[in-house]
Amino acid sequence: MTSHVKGQDQMRQRTRWGTRLVPALLAVAGLLAAAACGGTTDDEKPVAATGAATPNADKPVTISFLSYNYGTPGIGGKGTQSLLDAFHKAHPNITVKPQGVAVADVLTRLRTDTAAGSPPDVAQIGWSKMAEAVRTLPIVPVQKAAPADEWSTHVAGLSPSIMKAVTQDGVVAAMPYTMSIPVMYINADLFKAAGLDPANPPKTLDDVRAAGLAIKKATGKEGAYVAVVDSGKSDYLTQSVIASAGGSLVGSDGSVTLDQKPAVDALTAVAGLTSSGAMPKVDTTAAVASFTKGEMGMLVGSTALLVSAQQAAEGHFTLTTAPFPQVKAGTPARPTYSGAGLAILAKDPDRQRAAWEFIKFITSDAGFEIITSQIGYLPLRQTIETKLADTPTVKLLKPALDQLATVTPYTSFPSDHANEAVVTLQDDAVEPIVLRGADPAGTLSSVADKIRKLVG
Amino acid sequence: MTTSEAGAQPALPRGRADRPAPRGHALAGKRADEPPAPGPLAASTRRAGGWRGAATPWLFQAPVLVSLAVWVYGPLVFTGVLSLLDWDLISPHPEFVGLTNYRQLVEDPEFGNAVLRTGLYVLALLPFATVVPMALAIMLWKRPGRASGIYRSLLFVPVMLAPVANALSWRFVLDPLGGIVNEVFGGLGLPQRDWLGDPSFALPAITLITAAKFVAMHLLLYGAALAAVDRRSLDAARVDGATEWEITRHLVVPQLARTTALLAFLCAVFAGQWTFTNIVVLTDGGPDGTTDNVYFRLFQYAFTFFDAGTGAAAAMMIVAGLALAFAVVSLPRRRRATG
Repeated sequence: MTSHVKGQDQMRQRTRWGTRLVPALLAVAGLLAAAACGGTTDDEKPVAATGAATPNADKPVTISFLSYNYGTPGIGGKGTQSLLDAFHKAHPNITVKPQGVAVADVLTRLRTDTAAGSPPDVAQIGWSKMAEAVRTLPIVPVQKAAPADEWSTHVAGLSPSIMKAVTQDGVVAAMPYTMSIPVMYINADLFKAAGLDPANPPKTLDDVRAAGLAIKKATGKEGAYVAVVDSGKSDYLTQSVIASAGGSLVGSDGSVTLDQKPAVDALTAVAGLTSSGAMPKVDTTAAVASFTKGEMGMLVGSTALLVSAQQAAEGHFTLTTAPFPQVKAGTPARPTYSGAGLAILAKDPDRQRAAWEFIKFITSDAGFEIITSQIGYLPLRQTIETKLADTPTVKLLKPALDQLATVTPYTSFPSDHANEAVVTLQDDAVEPIVLRGADPAGTLSSVADKIRKLVG
Repeated sequence: MTTSEAGAQPALPRGRADRPAPRGHALAGKRADEPPAPGPLAASTRRAGGWRGAATPWLFQAPVLVSLAVWVYGPLVFTGVLSLLDWDLISPHPEFVGLTNYRQLVEDPEFGNAVLRTGLYVLALLPFATVVPMALAIMLWKRPGRASGIYRSLLFVPVMLAPVANALSWRFVLDPLGGIVNEVFGGLGLPQRDWLGDPSFALPAITLITAAKFVAMHLLLYGAALAAVDRRSLDAARVDGATEWEITRHLVVPQLARTTALLAFLCAVFAGQWTFTNIVVLTDGGPDGTTDNVYFRLFQYAFTFFDAGTGAAAAMMIVAGLALAFAVVSLPRRRRATG
């Protein structure tokens, strides 16, 4: 055999190698990718909650905690760190490793972490995303993760109306944690400059429009803002105005009812604020920034903004609050709640036990004292409301706390696509109607059809 | 082998064979048309055995091949498979749905809108990828000096900023209630707007924000191309009475044609990706879908709505579209090269 022929043989041999090797590598890579992205298997589902977890409570355990407040530069981040520090001091055998996440990305992060096989043990999940999370993620209902006697003792001091609102089918899946309901913030200085009395705040949306226009005319500042166009794609304020008009997004039989007259009336009323000029055509982020700079007369938004609004107002303007306004005169306001609950995704009993201990602590009296005084969320325990009654924060929360007894349960679309339906509602209906003058009836009708197809 | 000995040999074909072979080379002292003697590598291969010799080159290439397979082709195959499934990322039992995801995408007006908007981004960004940086680069090249360097450095700052931080800074600049731009517009008596919330202005705003980030990088690439331009030819043209515009138009710009073609191609391929971060941070595809693009829609399908199959189908359609674009661009050039 000449060297030429031998060389050709070698080339052919290499080519055969190549034709075998490359597909083999591709197959291995495909398997690796599939393994990396694969979902949880039946075997990986969380251990069935016993309701009487009996692992060794003194055994050192490390759990992870996904929180959209943790790590943020404002009061939410500082308050969450205070909670973690206090918990660690009280429970040195349990180490909590916090993980920050953007509020809009909580569900995405939970899904991808679960797909990767490493969900956090405890997660702070916004109520607008809770229904889909409970349906699709391996969440252990917090009520079932807790020993029965500890559970009843713990929830005894919590707001009955909130506990009732978050109970589904007789079980509490996620513990109410950083809860808020909408309230009306008032820049009392601008009210006075416009000849209005901040002690006699607007009671209906019509009153809000009149006061807003008066402020704008007298001061040149923005009049009012009702934060239905939520930057975090939550529909809690949309639900609040629709419920206050006597309607709902979903009927008692699970049907989509957001195109019925009460919903159309509610969004027509809010759109009337923008069309009249009383409310600027901007999203909530811009409106909140304007209010905290003292450039706006009224802001109807979550109580979660309270402490930051207080800090911004200090030395600049006088901040007062008023109850969530009625959408229609004579029809009582029925705001729903927003904020977040704490869900357990821990798989093994030791971590579930540690997760419950963590949740129990940060929703105890000590926890809610920090939550209310440092972050500004509602004190869901009467003891804390009483203890902090004379603090400026709780005084400003008083109108919201008075409405707590009549809070409307948050409604979720009955589907695994609940979050997509909420995003569709906010992007395709609420924003065009309120900010760009789209026809409320026609827009809600077409969006309702779209959501019906989505949720089945 | 000496030069005189080489000269005594019969005429050799032109090319490598007409050069004297180096001392010790297999060709030394032999005719060029004789088969080469086995070299040291071949000898060692023979000693090592056939399969080992054949495996050696693959071993050297293995890191790259494995890397490509794991990070590029493997996921591509996986994405192709995923596009045929109905899967929510965590369900243990994905359902095979065939081409349903592709059919739904084709019928989905939002995806159609995203494709259209991606095309608009390409068209809107094209001048900022080519004409603007070329003009800036030529101006700076014609007036070298300290001021030119400072100006170039200032332009380069956005390139170095983290994309999300850069996008967030624009939120403050364009804030409809008290942002810098509206303050300036108000001061000049011009109408103030919600630049990112107005369907008429949102896409141009995202385009400008995106362009501001990459234009300096393209300026740098044009600067590198200009370094190869012979300034003596320009001087000669001046002596012949050509104006600066004529020199730029007929001498400088033609020499930047290859760089312009490259940057235009990159813009066509990457415009959607360049705008992605700004869309996520500033508009979420709104208002009314006017700032949407295919990458953002893919992200929405897969990671906001957890419809991994539809997201994968969108990814495969994007790959197919890019492959088609590449073929359209490269095939005529290959034909010219081979014809």
